[in-house]
Amino acid sequence: MIPFLADIDPVFKVLAPRPADWLSILPEIAVAGLSLICLLQAMFLPKALRSLIPITARVGLVLVAIMALTNGPWVQPTDVASFAGLLRQNLPTDGVRMVFLLSALLTSFLAEGFLRERDAAVADYHHVLLVVTAAFMLLVQSNHFVTFFLSLETAAVGLYVLVGYLRRSEASLEAGVKYLVAGGLSSAFLLMGIVLVYGALGSVGVADSLNFTQIGKALAAQSVANTISPLTLTGIALILGGVAFKLGAFPFHTWIPDVYQGAPTPTTAFLGTASKAAGAFTLVLLATGPFAPIAVKLAPLLGVTAVLTLLVGNLGALATTDVKRTLSLSGVSHAGFILAAVTAALVLPGANAFGYDVEQVIVIYLLAYVIGTFLTAQALVSLPAIEDHRRPQLALRGLLRRSPLLASALGFGIGSLAGVPPSVGFIAKLLVLILLVSAKLWWILGAALIGVAISIHYYFSILREAVVRPTDADEELAPLEIPFGTRFLIGALTAASIIGGLFVLFGR
Amino acid sequence: MENTSLAHHLILAGLLFVLGLTGVLLRRNLLVVYMCLELMLAAATLALVAFSRFNRTMDGAVLVFFVITVAAAEVAVGLALIVALFRKRGTVQSDALTTLRD
Repeated sequence: MIPFLADIDPVFKVLAPRPADWLSILPEIAVAGLSLICLLQAMFLPKALRSLIPITARVGLVLVAIMALTNGPWVQPTDVASFAGLLRQNLPTDGVRMVFLLSALLTSFLAEGFLRERDAAVADYHHVLLVVTAAFMLLVQSNHFVTFFLSLETAAVGLYVLVGYLRRSEASLEAGVKYLVAGGLSSAFLLMGIVLVYGALGSVGVADSLNFTQIGKALAAQSVANTISPLTLTGIALILGGVAFKLGAFPFHTWIPDVYQGAPTPTTAFLGTASKAAGAFTLVLLATGPFAPIAVKLAPLLGVTAVLTLLVGNLGALATTDVKRTLSLSGVSHAGFILAAVTAALVLPGANAFGYDVEQVIVIYLLAYVIGTFLTAQALVSLPAIEDHRRPQLALRGLLRRSPLLASALGFGIGSLAGVPPSVGFIAKLLVLILLVSAKLWWILGAALIGVAISIHYYFSILREAVVRPTDADEELAPLEIPFGTRFLIGALTAASIIGGLFVLFGR
Repeated sequence: MENTSLAHHLILAGLLFVLGLTGVLLRRNLLVVYMCLELMLAAATLALVAFSRFNRTMDGAVLVFFVITVAAAEVAVGLALIVALFRKRGTVQSDALTTLRD
């Protein structure tokens, strides 16, 4: 609040941020502050105390998560706009905030040991990770294309760093450059789309034509009068294309296998969960917000994309043998599931499954996906040889003997991703299928079921490697030492995977 | 200004955008590809300024500043990645990026 500006100009009286506005983004400010604390610690702490840095980050993230769960002014049960309409908060945005916090916390657990082993800086990684997390948290709350573009790009630039983080690894650098070019291309499309929507609506006298609410109102009026200009439609198509890129939906999924394979495994897990969650939720935000008046036109487009994404993701995963590539393409098929849920929401506004509306179903799906991904990633990170193995899935051989705990983590993770009962992944998939049935989208339902059937095959062929009896030719068969923190984490995630599903079913 | 209309600016911006896109898709040198990406952003910025001027709203002009800032950050990270890759591989041709495959 700057009092003298408000005195000079009456406009500032309306636009100047109120104290309540700052309180509403306190969790984001806290995460950004935490990222700076990580850097300061790296500068001033003596070498012996450096191991405190990731611990500080984790404790801070847990505190922020508790804060975001408690009922403060930063949690808005109803739709509340802040910063003169730049941001908008409601219960779903609070829920998806938790997805990002959880994902960052788990990434930090994976990253510490992984980076130490490879002699890379831990503090810098945490700094960038927390900046990206804060940007994602703001992204899902944005109600204006300026905040939308800025937070999306902040996150993207941070992710380029995290993907290419291992400077001595050719794979990591190559993945970083590929992600850079793919991401830059999507940003350019997105920006051009924003510009066209801004210009086309502004030229017919819509004031503040970057604001989601204003765009929604203008499009509603224009679609009644049937005067939506082709320029506006082109802009909307470009924006949705840019978002589909982040989500990894067909036909913008081609960068995913290379980048996920080459990136450091903790980054892969973060990309697969937080970045995908951001893409998914942004799509919901746009499709049910400013672009809702043209939902009739969008629904068939999204439906076809959902079907193709499901099929391409699953068939692609079937054809690969590298574990990280298989999981990345299975992630594409999960994006297809989320797209299917969004389509159901567009076809039947107010669609629900067991009383959960579409936004809640997507948050549940994303949380289930986070649990499954991190359980699987934990098993992969603990195998030292997997990155430089000629055929990485062979490194999984005999895992059941080397460490029953890791093998069961892999089992529960894969089970959760594949949607085997009683895991939360099963419940999440079930909710999406119920949405599809209630919206009577039989063709998408068919594609989803075919996808699930295919996915069982490749998920369990990964698991088979871990269970299969090792031969003498396999080099490493020594038992693996698992540190206490990892054991605790695996236990907690496994419990969450089982209890979470029951909680979703009977918890309300 | 009398002789130029909004359409002129938009056609120029569209041409630059398509030129950039063609470069990204066809060129093999990563630095050139990266320059073409920046050209696409510049095209979008030009359209933004033109719309802002002809629609008489300031929002677009303000967004331009943010876009330039973001593009600068992106260039810093991007060039760092490309230089690191060059040190490792000794080339910046995209044909040489063949480490990642199935």
